[in-house]
Amino acid sequence: MELPFEIGPQFEGERIRKDDMYIELGGPKVKAKAELAKLRKADEIEDGRVEVKGLDIGEMEEGGRYPFGIFVEVAGEKLEEDMEGVVERRIHEYCNFIEGFMHLNQRYDIWCRLSKEAHAKGFNLKYMGQALIKLFKSELPIIEKMQVTFITDEKEVVEFVGNAKKTYEARDARARALSEEEVDEFYACLMCQSFAPTHVCIITPERMSLCGSISWLEGRAATRADPKGTNFPVQKGELLDAIKGEYAGVNEVVAERSDGETERCYLHSMFGYPHTSCGCFESLAFYIPEVDGIGVVHREYPGDTPIGVPFSRLAAQTGGGRQGEGILGMAIEYMRSRKFLQADGGWDRIVWLPKSAKEMVGDAIPEELRERIAMEDDATDIDSLKAFLEKKAHPVVQRWGFEVTEELKNKLIAYIEKREGEIYPEEAAKELGISEDQVMKVIDGLREDGILE
Amino acid sequence: MNGINFKIEELKSALAEIGGVDVTIGSIIEDTWEEAMGPTPMPSIDTLRTWDHILLNRYKPFYSPFCDMCCLCTYGKCDLTAGKIGACGIDIGAQQARMYLLSSCIGAATHGAHARHMVEHLIEKLGSDHKIDLGRFISVNAPNIMAVVGMRPERLGDLRKVLDYAEEQIVQCLSATHTGQEGSSIDFESKSMHVGMIDHVVMEAADIAQITGCGFPKGDSDAPLVEIGMGTLDRSKPVVICVGHNVVTGTEIVDHLMKKDMMDKVEVGGLCCTAHDLTRYEKTAKVVGHLSKQLYFIRSGVADVIVVDEQCVRLDTLKEATKVKTAVIATSDKICYGLPDRTNDPRQEIIKDLANGVPGALILDPEKAGEVAVEVALRISEKRRKLKALPDKKEVMKLARDCNVCGECKRTCPLDLPIPGAMKTAAKGDLNGLVDVYDLCLGCGVCEPACRRDLPILNMVQRAAERKVKEEKYLLRSGRGPILDTEIRNVGPPIVLGTIPGVVAYVGCANYSKGRGALAEMAEEFLRRRYIVVASGCAAMDIAMRKDEDGKTLYEKYPGDFDAGCIANVGSCVANSHISGACIKIPSIFARRNIRGNYEEIADYILNRIGACGVAWGVYSQKAEAIAVGCNRWGIPVIVGPHASKYRRLYLGRKDIEDDWYVYDVKAKGERVFVGPAPEHLMYASETKEECIVMTARLCIRPNDTTKGRMIKLSHYLDLSEKYFGTLPDDWPVFVRTEADLPIAKKDVLLGELKEVGWKPGRIPDPTNLERFKLKWR
Repeated sequence: MELPFEIGPQFEGERIRKDDMYIELGGPKVKAKAELAKLRKADEIEDGRVEVKGLDIGEMEEGGRYPFGIFVEVAGEKLEEDMEGVVERRIHEYCNFIEGFMHLNQRYDIWCRLSKEAHAKGFNLKYMGQALIKLFKSELPIIEKMQVTFITDEKEVVEFVGNAKKTYEARDARARALSEEEVDEFYACLMCQSFAPTHVCIITPERMSLCGSISWLEGRAATRADPKGTNFPVQKGELLDAIKGEYAGVNEVVAERSDGETERCYLHSMFGYPHTSCGCFESLAFYIPEVDGIGVVHREYPGDTPIGVPFSRLAAQTGGGRQGEGILGMAIEYMRSRKFLQADGGWDRIVWLPKSAKEMVGDAIPEELRERIAMEDDATDIDSLKAFLEKKAHPVVQRWGFEVTEELKNKLIAYIEKREGEIYPEEAAKELGISEDQVMKVIDGLREDGILE
Repeated sequence: MNGINFKIEELKSALAEIGGVDVTIGSIIEDTWEEAMGPTPMPSIDTLRTWDHILLNRYKPFYSPFCDMCCLCTYGKCDLTAGKIGACGIDIGAQQARMYLLSSCIGAATHGAHARHMVEHLIEKLGSDHKIDLGRFISVNAPNIMAVVGMRPERLGDLRKVLDYAEEQIVQCLSATHTGQEGSSIDFESKSMHVGMIDHVVMEAADIAQITGCGFPKGDSDAPLVEIGMGTLDRSKPVVICVGHNVVTGTEIVDHLMKKDMMDKVEVGGLCCTAHDLTRYEKTAKVVGHLSKQLYFIRSGVADVIVVDEQCVRLDTLKEATKVKTAVIATSDKICYGLPDRTNDPRQEIIKDLANGVPGALILDPEKAGEVAVEVALRISEKRRKLKALPDKKEVMKLARDCNVCGECKRTCPLDLPIPGAMKTAAKGDLNGLVDVYDLCLGCGVCEPACRRDLPILNMVQRAAERKVKEEKYLLRSGRGPILDTEIRNVGPPIVLGTIPGVVAYVGCANYSKGRGALAEMAEEFLRRRYIVVASGCAAMDIAMRKDEDGKTLYEKYPGDFDAGCIANVGSCVANSHISGACIKIPSIFARRNIRGNYEEIADYILNRIGACGVAWGVYSQKAEAIAVGCNRWGIPVIVGPHASKYRRLYLGRKDIEDDWYVYDVKAKGERVFVGPAPEHLMYASETKEECIVMTARLCIRPNDTTKGRMIKLSHYLDLSEKYFGTLPDDWPVFVRTEADLPIAKKDVLLGELKEVGWKPGRIPDPTNLERFKLKWR
């Protein structure tokens, strides 16, 4: 079938402004709208079938807003039910591959626009369905059969939304239940090696890719769809440190794929051997030594952090595939992870977060901490941050009580002598029965005394 | 995080080594930049020769002698045609390369002298300790200087050190053009590349100095929309016009008016790049237009006072201005016009003289020149208003009847414009032919001396096109200056992955072959396709001079960010350094490569990973030659317009020679991998805008493109070829590495064609052309 419009990734990001819009499907002014992908058995669907329930574009009025449902049904031998979400997310991507069609948001919140120009060229939903089928099958060859149903009849859309919501809930429950312990394999992404040649992104059910666009399920689907692509499975191997999130299999892959640049990788700590940072991380965590806490800032926040520098300056200090202690690029979604920086204290250690980021992940912040984490209005520099944390009795305040005693200094000197002049903070921490940060404080104390250089 | 003081002992640049043994200049550069020093700080003329040879081996010089003689020494003239060798032993290839080097030296020296003047002026005004502050979103403040010189300038005084180094390099390069020096065309080319690189360094020094010292926008994507066009000036007010490139006096004019609280009572405008910079200083200043408007404008008599500074100023300004009683103030020691030096005369005396009809004065004190310009305009404007500068329409017809249609004007015209025909119809009372000439005319005026009847051809054309001239009112986004670090962080990944299919920079002068407007058309083609579009100089002005059916220019239609589907006007000629700078900032900011004194690695990164392409459609000057070859050394290809074949040489790749297109794959232990002709050329002359558009899309292709990136780039390349040539290009299969590179919409058809030509899949390497990195990046 000859399509009356072009398709391809070059149309992604195309905006259709109000004046150029022919009709709007879904969107904030329409109640009933949703999209859903379902896995079917091969004999349950008819490959290439496109059905329109309700009016097609030609029967709609210019400037009108209509209820809208997109229902994608796929079948394929290697497809798993877990991948439904992945397929569904691609609806957004592929709709935007269509010239003159704009798709925003997802699930029951979709907002689409068709341009006047596309309408004039003869666009209708039948063609659009064909385009989607072509795109899905060409980009995800594990889809062997596919059919698409568009729904514009209000009553039918309302019913469709009801069913879809049930599927979303079940899917979310399943995704939430996924944990690192439960799976054998993680996924790696090397996409960013294109500019950060030693960066290896490790994606687990509890740690999204730094860019925030590849979840464990996405990674799984991507490796199946394109085994030669930039995503591949990583056998997690022996668990070396459950708190820090260190796995033998991960270390092996990271060492190999970073050309030996990075030998160890902690998935859930920003100290010691943290995960490397690429260049497109959505947010970053940064250690604030003055309060012994961690701040988080995201890309969209243009202002300064309490340490006097904005995201851009902090980002300049990490990234490029380097492993840097104390600054860590991460996905915003990672803040929702149960294992979020768990080795460093997790949320108990987070002392500052821009308001807009707090709004995004608010529900993931433990109730008792929500008001204790400072935002830009609460703290603009270290002094005001300290005062805020003290006033709110933030958990990090307890850490401030640590005192570098003579006893600890002597213990550390003994350790250093035993190691013939070397210090391995992790080992020293175990030896002295204190944290690594505290070891560093003892070292600072010895430096001040002039014992250490 | 804490700054460490880093000291580089300035080097005897011919012996580029760190260590401080060979200190000749002896000054110490201190900065707080933590980055480790790379291998080539302050390179001398031979330091980067190996890199140049890598480029020149692939992109071989193609010579088109504009002149096949050499007349530089007294043994000559030497005829170099048909393999003949000159008296010194030079052959025609080396001579062409030598002339290009000479031109590039002129270009770099011009920007260098401009930068020196600007820096010294600002140091005098603000002190050498004045901090270079480009705002909180720019910490990589001088990417060219940082990568080439190896320092991050922090105070105005630091720029002196940069210029000391650059000036020495220009002298070194220029010395190689003396008879009996360099003899190989390739080594002449390498030296052109060197001085081109230096050109970007000095441009950057000039622009960051004026941004920080004059308070220009600091990478502001919302820089104000300012008025541009011959019709923007309110002729009921006194008019002061600056012509040239160095805005120092222009700022003094504005300051003087501000002091008098009369900014709204006097029209201040400019022609050429000084106009860009005037609007960066004061948004109510007006841009009259670019170089091709100069003669028309001066002759229109609209200006009460013309202040000339430097570069691209018509040499007959004084003569032409005198005819229409416009006072001329020369302000640069580079353009004195034989005028008496009045720098030390009392202000009132100069003002009185100029107001009483003395045609001009040389005033080398910018502040004094600014005051005099304003005061003279205020005094003479009233009486000048009655002046009739152009013939009226009846006179035009009468003059046209005098034309004997000999055709000399047309033969002399660089565009071969149909002036004789227009005269013929004008003689009969129809002036439309002359109006058509106005649309295409470059305003060079060479037709007039050729005219056997001494007709004032340009005046006739201007009067005929009177209505058009008055309607020339458009909006231009004022020059924003550098690209923000934050913008680089956002667009770095998609550029390097290829999903933003390219950065297209429209730059250069106004010597077009088929009239104005082509640049805006080309720019919009790429804006709609969500490339990043950048503009500067005369090209940025020209883009403003076309409205769509809703009366909007591209600057009104598209945002001013450095982002997909946006158009960023960086500013004047010297702001071109921000375009190369943006390419350098990508590896620095976002891929964390060290740029400090690390030229080759960064150029190799740009060549293989950053799909940037410069389009210099109307270039004419030696400065543009230097800028272009400076881009080329960084690995950025440049397309020039038809007239630029007169630059004598191109750098053309040979896609038919497979061996030229291999790189080392760092991920595969340095194995050689075929990457196809990407980018195919480094300097290419395009005959038509259609060809230019298709070539632009093609020259944005890079070896590092991911499959999605390549798919997008190929989609545009194929689509543009079909749109403008009605057919697919014949070479597309060479850009396909895997099936996933193919545009989805045409995949089935294209796969079939690939099979027919016996295509075999390749792979996407981690590419480098530098042998030392073939096994490992660090």
